[in-house]
Amino acid sequence: MTLYEDNKELYDSIPAEKFKRVERDEAIHDAKFQTKPICFLKDVWLRFTKNKASVCAAIVILIIAVLAIFGPGMNRFKYDEQYPDRVNMPPKIPAIANLNLGIFDGGYVLKNRQYDSISDTTKYPNDCIINVTNPQVVNGVRMVDVEVDYYKYLGISDDECYWFGSDYLGRDIWTRLWRGARMSLIIAVVSVACNVVIGLLYGSIAGYYGGTVDMILMRITEILNAFPRIVIVTLFVMVAGTGMFSIIMALIIKDWVPTARMIRSQFYRFKGSEYVLAARTLGVRDMALIFRHILPNSMGPIITSSMIAVPTAIFAESFLAYIGLGLQAPETSIGVMLSQGQKVLLHYPTQVVFPAIVISLLMISFNLFGNGLRDAFDPTLRGAE
Amino acid sequence: MAEREKILEIKNLCMEFPVKRREKLKALNNVTFDIYKGENFGLVGESGCGKTTLGRTIIRLYNPTSGEILFNGRSISGKLNKDTRKYVTDNIAMIFQDPISSLNPRMTIQEIIAEGLSIRGIKNKEEQRRMVVEILDKVGLLPEHAARYPHEFSGGQRQRIGIARALILNPSFIIADEPVSALDVSIQAQVIKLLLEMKKIMGLTILFIAHDLSVVKYFSDRIGVMCKGQLVELGDADEVYKNPLHPYTRALLSAIPEPDPIREKKKKRLYYDPQIHDYSKESPEFVEITPGHFVYGSPSEIEQYRIDLKEGINIFN
Repeated sequence: MTLYEDNKELYDSIPAEKFKRVERDEAIHDAKFQTKPICFLKDVWLRFTKNKASVCAAIVILIIAVLAIFGPGMNRFKYDEQYPDRVNMPPKIPAIANLNLGIFDGGYVLKNRQYDSISDTTKYPNDCIINVTNPQVVNGVRMVDVEVDYYKYLGISDDECYWFGSDYLGRDIWTRLWRGARMSLIIAVVSVACNVVIGLLYGSIAGYYGGTVDMILMRITEILNAFPRIVIVTLFVMVAGTGMFSIIMALIIKDWVPTARMIRSQFYRFKGSEYVLAARTLGVRDMALIFRHILPNSMGPIITSSMIAVPTAIFAESFLAYIGLGLQAPETSIGVMLSQGQKVLLHYPTQVVFPAIVISLLMISFNLFGNGLRDAFDPTLRGAE
Repeated sequence: MAEREKILEIKNLCMEFPVKRREKLKALNNVTFDIYKGENFGLVGESGCGKTTLGRTIIRLYNPTSGEILFNGRSISGKLNKDTRKYVTDNIAMIFQDPISSLNPRMTIQEIIAEGLSIRGIKNKEEQRRMVVEILDKVGLLPEHAARYPHEFSGGQRQRIGIARALILNPSFIIADEPVSALDVSIQAQVIKLLLEMKKIMGLTILFIAHDLSVVKYFSDRIGVMCKGQLVELGDADEVYKNPLHPYTRALLSAIPEPDPIREKKKKRLYYDPQIHDYSKESPEFVEITPGHFVYGSPSEIEQYRIDLKEGINIFN
């Protein structure tokens, strides 16, 4: 503008036809995308499979779930069958025992035996001895520790083996372990599902409406949170009796609070975002805003936190079982088995080791799986690796 | 100015946000102006002066504290019943600033654009599809783009999707809240051209909110200048650019960079100091100083502005 005013004569002396329009008037038109459109779920699947750790975790969870379903039916024992003459048997799997690896061979160390009687076949049946160690002389008698195949020692045939050993009542640990895993998983999944549903409703109302509603709802959760869980659970078990139902209820009664808080914070994060405002300017109703715009976008944290809540619930259930508020015998869960195994930890460590391995695998796998799912559900992370 | 049909009348609009208990932030303070049918009204001002709040209050994302908004003579302020809400959402649409965050990342373009349709009872998928393709074509996108997710598009494309979403409901009034400030300059031109073209085809009225003065000047018929929740000057675009009266407007205009390095160097930058106004004795008013040109000031300031106007001012040196 000013340039022109300063040099008016100069500019006016240029003939009009020497000017050419620089601006192009053609309409804008975009090229086709080269890539193929990928539907949302396929996209999620592609991104999930990229994460090797969470794929492994998913496979481990799947294996444990399959074993929890079919494991108890895989041998001839029932979870509540007792054999008073076969208590605390060591684990033995004949196929593995034949490989001489030193595991699952039914091996059990008999301490301080007379060396002279080793060859006595009435005391030690044919080739039941695996190893002889620790020779010493006590009061002039030669003593040794004898590791025997306990099954052969007692004269039990190979097809009656306890794969993971037996407990103090002679019940099969393999059967009870998977039965227990089944119970633990059911308790955890049901209680987490209930927590998510309650937390979702509660948190979304608090987060979406905000203000006074939010204030009142959040104070209620704080009051609820202030009660110690043990007290609530003990009272609850007293009133409702022990059993699966009351344990699930005990895991719901205040555990939905963190979920509700998390969902509330997600709502606070997204309700002011521009696409929610844009939807509001189009006249989208509250319910549609909540379920179509805000919730799908907060799915990532919800899935992750509920996946992490599953092992936590398993752990909480184990803890309840450990202090004696768990399932009633002969029903079992991983927690019940751990608490029983702990009593004989020094003599029969395998009774703790197997449930402990399963619960650890479940915890790690659910955490990794949850992380993988979160990354997969978040398209904004595409290509971020 | 000849009597023209007013599409939007805003009278003494106030909007306050609670900051703490008993403490309030006055985002809009007695804002009064009209927008005529078919014009481009540009609203400028620095960040945080209340431009966006004004736009969002008009479309009723916020509930105004006091004042009145009339749209085609019908009051749309106060408590909204179902009917009025529908009236507002049917007739006013908004284009947002950030092309990335204004599209829901979990919805396809088809779903995003068709959302307004299904709310208005057009539920038939075929019909929706046809209308979406039509509007996509208008904004220069292809039918196959409808099945895509927002993250697959560039900034300019996304902003055009935002425009398509606003236009599919055939609104008569559009609030464009800094639609180009997040885009680079070459794309800005593309989007603005598209807006002007759409305006021509659909007979729109546009409230264009921006802080880029050169864009506003290119785009607008009339300009309102806002400062701290207050409309300080209002007039035809050329008039405001030629004869800026309020010191804040002058400061804004003096900040436009010039494409001539020598002049740019010589140019005097003006700074606006709100302290120069002494409103303790006289209360300021929004006065029509020449036909169609309003300015905010106390009677003595207005007197000074009249003298400035008569003498012909050159703010740049």
